[in-house]
Amino acid sequence: MSLLFERTRPLAFGSRIDRLRDLFLRSPIAGPLATLVVVFVLLSFVPNFLTLRSVAGIVNAATLTGFIAVGVTLLMIAGEFDLSVGSIMAMAGYVFGFHVVAGGSPWVGLLLALLVAGTMGLINGLILVRTGIPSFLITLGTQFMYTGVLWFYSRSQMLQITEDLPAFAILNGRITWLSTWLPGANFRTAFLWLVLLVIIMQVVLVRTRFGNHVFATGGNKAAAAAQGVLVHRIKLACFVISGMCAGLAGVMLFAQFKTVRIATGAGQELQAIAAAVVGGTLLSGGSGSIVGALIGVLLISMLRTGVVLTDIISADNFTAVVGVTIVGAAILNNVIRQRR
Amino acid sequence: MSPSPPSEPVIAMENISRRFGSIVAVEGVTLAIYAGEVTALVGDNGAGKSTLIKILTGVYPPTTGQIYFKGKPVQITSPRMARDLGIETVYQDLALVPLMSVARNFFLGREPVKTIGPFRFLDLKTMQERTAAALRDIGIEKFSGGRSVNEPVGKLSGGERQSVAIGRAVYFGASVLILDEPTSALSVAETEKVLYYTQRAKERGLAVIFISHNMSHVMRVADRYIVMRHGRQVADYRKGELTEQDLAALVTGEREQ
Repeated sequence: MSLLFERTRPLAFGSRIDRLRDLFLRSPIAGPLATLVVVFVLLSFVPNFLTLRSVAGIVNAATLTGFIAVGVTLLMIAGEFDLSVGSIMAMAGYVFGFHVVAGGSPWVGLLLALLVAGTMGLINGLILVRTGIPSFLITLGTQFMYTGVLWFYSRSQMLQITEDLPAFAILNGRITWLSTWLPGANFRTAFLWLVLLVIIMQVVLVRTRFGNHVFATGGNKAAAAAQGVLVHRIKLACFVISGMCAGLAGVMLFAQFKTVRIATGAGQELQAIAAAVVGGTLLSGGSGSIVGALIGVLLISMLRTGVVLTDIISADNFTAVVGVTIVGAAILNNVIRQRR
Repeated sequence: MSPSPPSEPVIAMENISRRFGSIVAVEGVTLAIYAGEVTALVGDNGAGKSTLIKILTGVYPPTTGQIYFKGKPVQITSPRMARDLGIETVYQDLALVPLMSVARNFFLGREPVKTIGPFRFLDLKTMQERTAAALRDIGIEKFSGGRSVNEPVGKLSGGERQSVAIGRAVYFGASVLILDEPTSALSVAETEKVLYYTQRAKERGLAVIFISHNMSHVMRVADRYIVMRHGRQVADYRKGELTEQDLAALVTGEREQ
């Protein structure tokens, strides 16, 4: 844990309970983790919720948004938004899919998809640093522009293949030995890649110069620049990383469903931002964590499953629950932040 | 009127002017800044103080004129270059990142790293220890024992923030420290601290440029007073050569020289 987070102050003296409470309160993911546990405990009274099958379903449904949320969260900490991640995800899915359909190596396809996705992120970033227009507005525009390009590139067609490639199993396949050993544990490999990505990005964020400069750029751009931080370069790098994370989501999607549509990824940008905020990242930048974003996507996915299982409101109306969670989590995070 | 130079100036500005379109912000300023002295730069709003400082810190190039740093002619083209020369500026609000810890702010842009294999990681332990030691060194006792250097800067008072920024400039071997309105938003007790750390920085041999509206703070801390009015330098006096009333009269233009 100490590699992933920094102690903001030494442990309180006193009883073990005091120390534990202190350890918890000063962790940046205290709020999100508490919310996750409370929601989990509450939902565990719902019939069929506390089964391996349902837990695996929650995790699998959260995975693709999880990749996007990693990049979006990093970008939000740097003080910027990317609303075009959904269209980047779809584009990367097509780039990967077309390459594989044409008989190319899936690994080369993966690299090509990441290259295209990174370039799309770079375009967002370049428009930002050249014009200074808020990234919220820029990426609202590029979202539609990228989808427009995709209409041409995809020849307005959905892409689908039937062939199963070994690479798909590595990227986002079933972990068969686990589900034969534990029936219902239908986890997929992509979640392991996501966990790996989350750990790497979290370490980069809190343990490297780059991460320090990301926090500084989002926290006070002018102060960071005055200390020699190359704030434009930091923002560009975050946009490229955000694009590549969305690209990974597109590739993982294709490896799982073997299909991609133009509308793939629509709405993902807001889910990712919601996950980031639920995970304790400030909308105003300068503070947040990648681990929190992972907790955020899991929490939202868990609520979706809970809504479906309880059948109190229609499953299609689950976004109402997401709305309540976002506001609730934001309030809770605020309370904990002030206590710290 | 011109003070006798104690040694070679750290910074000499020669006939510096800056125009923005038809507006003349700074006109023909020639002055010298010396090590181990606090030079106050006073003047009313719009007198040209800020523009002059921005020229010195590489934010704007001068329209005409030449800057000499330690005797050598220089063209300061960016804030980064100014900092590399050893010119550090402590701005009222722009100095620190409130959400980041004191130690992370202290080393921002100059973080020590540990190399593990092909990767370079922040050396957080060194950052924390050195920050605490450096702040203790210039007399900021609050941070001794490595206790609060991990607290976010946002938890510090205004005076403490200024102090951390001053401590940072001293630690990284600045030769010129520019304090832009360091006391304007502070309580009396906080102001005392900042004036004290300003003295400490001077005793360590830094050339300090102290920009302020507050004549009594200027009188207490400065060794020299440079007055600007309408973009021109109108007076340059040493400590003891004039009273607070004289200084105020020079700023408002009631007195010409």
